[in-house]
Amino acid sequence: MSMNPAQRRYIRHMIALSIAYILAVMVASALIPDGAAATPLTIGIALVPALATSGFIWAMARYVADLGDEYVRMLEIRKMLVATGMTLALASGWGILELFTDVPRVPLFFVFPVWCLGLAVGSLVNRVTIGDAGPCA
Amino acid sequence: MKNRLKVLRAERDWSQQDLAERLQVSRQSVNAIETDKYDPSLPLAFRIADLFGLSIEDIFLKD
Repeated sequence: MSMNPAQRRYIRHMIALSIAYILAVMVASALIPDGAAATPLTIGIALVPALATSGFIWAMARYVADLGDEYVRMLEIRKMLVATGMTLALASGWGILELFTDVPRVPLFFVFPVWCLGLAVGSLVNRVTIGDAGPCA
Repeated sequence: MKNRLKVLRAERDWSQQDLAERLQVSRQSVNAIETDKYDPSLPLAFRIADLFGLSIEDIFLKD
């Protein structure tokens, strides 16, 4: 599937945001020692990478809004619905396990990566149910 | 929803890519509509009808 302008713009945004994210994580790791107290300074530095992850979400929303092809937009939204459903089910299921048992605590940091993995599951669902996985995003 | 898109396209000797470019959609969209995997929105259905000079009912058929 050839890339349309919205997909090309999305890829550009994601590359720039990924570089910003990696740099922000490296800076935060260098400035904040392990086990540092939560002070306004450490919180402020630690939240900088979160700006990049929020940027990822903005880029995805912009991508869907910019897609001029309604069929491709439907495929992408289906993928996001599958990812959201899967993430909510896993997070709430594991959260209940944490409430009632001594299973390991999973940091909330992993919610977004799990959602991104859910996009791959969504592609698979599209492939199985419609016969078309949709663009890789 | 069944449709006559493939027949109408073949009558004009257009490929799926040709039709996609005329409609400003992806080839995958044309393929999905032709194979009844996707029902187009009303605006896209009107664009298809306008392109072939037909009414929507002449292209898209009730199941």
